[in-house]
Amino acid sequence: MAPTNNSHDSETLSNSSTSPAEPEGKRAPVLVDGVTLNGPTLDIREAESFLRDAMPIIMEEAVRKATSVKEKVCDWKSPEQLKELLDLELREGGETDPQILQRCRDAIQYSVKTGHPRFFNQLYAGLDPYSLVGRFITEALNPSLYTYEVAPVFILTEEAVLNKMMEIIGWTEGGDGIFCPGGSVSNMYAVNVARYQRCPDVKELGLSALPRLAMFTSQECHYSVAKAAAFLGIGTKNVYVIQSDNRGKMIPAEFEKQVQRAKDEGVLPFMVNATAGTTVLGSFDPLEDIADICQRHNLWMHVDACWGGAALMSNKHKHLLKGIHRADSVAWNPHKMLLAGLQCCAFMVRGHTNILQRCHSANASYLFQQDKFYDVSYDTGDKSIQCSRKPDAFKFWLMWKALGTSGLEERVDRALAMARYLAEEIKKRDGFRLVMEPEYANVCFWYIPPGLRSTPEGPEFWSKVHGVAPVVKERMMKKGSMMVGYQPHGDKVNFFRQIIISPQVSREDMDFLLDEINNLGKDL
Amino acid sequence: MSQLPRFWNLGWSNILDWWSNSGVSEQESSPLYSQQELNEALLDHREGQIFLTKAFQVILEEVLFKGTDVKEKVCDWREPGELAALLDLELRENGETQKQLLKRVQDVAKYSVKTSHPRFYNQLFAGVDYHALAGRFLTEALNTSQYTYEVAPVFVLMEEVVLSKLRSLVGWTQGDGIFCPGGTVSNMYAMNLARFRAFPEVKVKGQWALPRLAVFASQESHYSVMKAAAFQGIGTENVFKVNVDDRGCMNPEDLGEKIELAKSQGAVPFFVHATSGTTVKGAFDPLEPIADLCERLGLWLHVDAAWGGSVLLSKKHKHLMKGVERADSVTWNPHKMMLTGLQCSAILLKDTTDLLKHCHCADATYLFQQDKFYDKSLDTGDKSIQCGRKVDCLKLWLMWKAVGSQGLEERVDRAFAHVRYLVEEMKKRQGFQLIWEPEFVNVCFWFIPPSLRGNENSPDYRDKLAKVAPAIKERMMKQGTMMVGYQPHGGLVNFFRMIVISPQVSKQEMTFFLDEIERLGNDL
Repeated sequence: MAPTNNSHDSETLSNSSTSPAEPEGKRAPVLVDGVTLNGPTLDIREAESFLRDAMPIIMEEAVRKATSVKEKVCDWKSPEQLKELLDLELREGGETDPQILQRCRDAIQYSVKTGHPRFFNQLYAGLDPYSLVGRFITEALNPSLYTYEVAPVFILTEEAVLNKMMEIIGWTEGGDGIFCPGGSVSNMYAVNVARYQRCPDVKELGLSALPRLAMFTSQECHYSVAKAAAFLGIGTKNVYVIQSDNRGKMIPAEFEKQVQRAKDEGVLPFMVNATAGTTVLGSFDPLEDIADICQRHNLWMHVDACWGGAALMSNKHKHLLKGIHRADSVAWNPHKMLLAGLQCCAFMVRGHTNILQRCHSANASYLFQQDKFYDVSYDTGDKSIQCSRKPDAFKFWLMWKALGTSGLEERVDRALAMARYLAEEIKKRDGFRLVMEPEYANVCFWYIPPGLRSTPEGPEFWSKVHGVAPVVKERMMKKGSMMVGYQPHGDKVNFFRQIIISPQVSREDMDFLLDEINNLGKDL
Repeated sequence: MSQLPRFWNLGWSNILDWWSNSGVSEQESSPLYSQQELNEALLDHREGQIFLTKAFQVILEEVLFKGTDVKEKVCDWREPGELAALLDLELRENGETQKQLLKRVQDVAKYSVKTSHPRFYNQLFAGVDYHALAGRFLTEALNTSQYTYEVAPVFVLMEEVVLSKLRSLVGWTQGDGIFCPGGTVSNMYAMNLARFRAFPEVKVKGQWALPRLAVFASQESHYSVMKAAAFQGIGTENVFKVNVDDRGCMNPEDLGEKIELAKSQGAVPFFVHATSGTTVKGAFDPLEPIADLCERLGLWLHVDAAWGGSVLLSKKHKHLMKGVERADSVTWNPHKMMLTGLQCSAILLKDTTDLLKHCHCADATYLFQQDKFYDKSLDTGDKSIQCGRKVDCLKLWLMWKAVGSQGLEERVDRAFAHVRYLVEEMKKRQGFQLIWEPEFVNVCFWFIPPSLRGNENSPDYRDKLAKVAPAIKERMMKQGTMMVGYQPHGGLVNFFRMIVISPQVSKQEMTFFLDEIERLGNDL
């Protein structure tokens, strides 16, 4: 298209007074409302040359260097410094392509390298090249997942991935599902669907017309349960919190007690959120026992397996989620341990009740026309609470094709073996103390600097230990050597939560983690 | 796949078992791993990078060049069953070779709808901006989740600048906001914030502590209002639909009457949802009189400008949203007319009291630690109802830097001009019946085939006319020549809704569009 651009220009010059009524001259520009219409303004050759320049930068800086253990995890700048460096302001005029490329380099330089082997800060890490290709394709194609008409390939790949995931969960009768923008939203879907199942009138009449409802979750659950209760109008007070044992698992007897308490208070119990893989401790609630109680009290059983779902891929570790096939709904985020890339979150419902559609549909006639020339059951968009929706399943599908189920299993087994290794090393070293034996890929531990090791373990000791992790964290970030999270939790003072996911991680990185914490904190 | 010995393909767990059974492992207590295997990283990035480079070439050729080439098809239609077979969707035990995977990349490109094609007019998004596209590739490579300054330093600052720029176009010098996964979710935020401002106790106590609430939106509003009311426990029956005039704009007198009606039924009005740029007609509600009413009654005024917001970039057309600065909140999707790519949707707020945070926060200690070493107000993640959140600001920021406000304004003006041109051309042709004079870039019209012309009064005219658009749509998709949407609407039978956005569109495309509708429909 580039060569035609010049001819457009010359036509513009020679036909400056052309009127709109000139159907004959196909290329003659027209002037409408002060705008000259003389051909497309996108020059695809310019686009090509820019993208060909941008891609090596992304590949070198954001992929190769960002995953190299020899590079920094982050290049810490204070917000004030960073504002200065980035020149964020948006102005009237545009910039040249070389300037824009420099802006890409800057964005990469000062961003945290979440694909780095020493990024242990969140429940996701690492970079899978196949998933990344899948993401590049979907970004380039820019589809929105409402109808088969607009997103045929992505409707079908989503269905294939969901079916496989539900098979792995063990739902022999099948089910239905949808990908959501984040696990929090998946959990919100669960609350809404469970509520609708119990009281279908809620969709039209709202909660004002219903008895007060109660939902249940353990004290170790993710905060999205509280967010869901607030957002959906149920109220955080109507979330009955169930005590967990010292390994972070929901105590079934306590669950039953809370159900009784709610009933005594005149509130209608409708669902429980069980967690498979809690955020901090990585604990798995006893799903079989919970399922029994749900059956007895006719409660919807949702399993938040956003983090722990990956264990289902492993023959060795899937016992952690024993009983998950009895759940009514499951949330599972392949963007966490399976490295599908943000965001990739499946929400799945057991059985073919069409409840997603019934609960969420608004039947927009402009999008979901009923007189289409193909099977409109493929127009799955009305199952969603969103309108436009990204094709998040595709990257996972492509990665799965590349690695096979066995490749995914291998990753899970390896991450958990690495966590075991780290836990054993922690036990061997002076000054490191496990908070509890890890069951999953969360290794929680305190670092106790030499100066504190002889202090008796009273309140003073713990209050000093509490101050250690934030300082070590500050130092590691400013140095850029690694990133690992810490938090206080329940009655426990600040401890590190080491998360091991990435297949890029080696044993050396585990040893490095412990050495580095010691180096950074031994003077405290 | 690699020069390295891929003994990983044997299955990692097998190797582990062998190690632990052969007595090589010293760790009797932990037979789950062998130190030797953990020594090396599982993922070899060299082979991944080769694949990325090859795949990028395919993406450039097949998606970017062919996908925007007017000589190529917009879509390559296949029935769902046929496409499923072509794609070989099944996920298997073992992985595939890079060669097979590259073929998959090609297939996906081939059978996907080319939403960036100059003849894709099917949705409220179209076209491609290559600076934004580079930003999207970069976002995917960096794989950042936008919760804290610690993990997303560049994007926390960038999001704030972009939001502040969008707010300044609305007419606010300060305020708040956040990017959401789609305009529907942005609209949900608005409704939730309004409810929380009016009744802060709802967060804890739920809807039962409140009176029955009433929401007001026009008959032409987007279906997300209904989805929001259902999801948030307000109930769709508590959405009062306000009448519109013949152009599709909300009638402010009727709004006043509907508010009275709601009160007379014992419901408490709290939220008025006005629309700037309705989905089908592209109508703009009169914001000034609506704001007068909301001010007088103390109601939250939300403006859903997901579609129409881009007129604020144009000095010529921003009058369509006159009064928007009086709103409490505005939804604006730059992924629509501004071409940033899906998804990019902002909820903008006038509020300066930190309402967003108060309404949504859950204060997770593992993520939003209070003893961090930097200004914690930059940890903006708790304003969101999500936990992990994609970076949606980079693509918009990079594009804005590249083309400037001026470049964005030009695009908007150009889209309007194309629509004016199309409408004038349509009026010159027989068989095209415009339904409304477009105020925006939605051109709604019937095509009346020669066989129906002059039969307007015959009893089966409407039934026959209703069948025309679906038949033409089927033909255009099967031939892949273009894509445009149709729908029945109110009492009107199926009509086409032509959307003109993309800067790749030229006036030749407008002529082609009319010719093609005639070609496909003249024999009906």
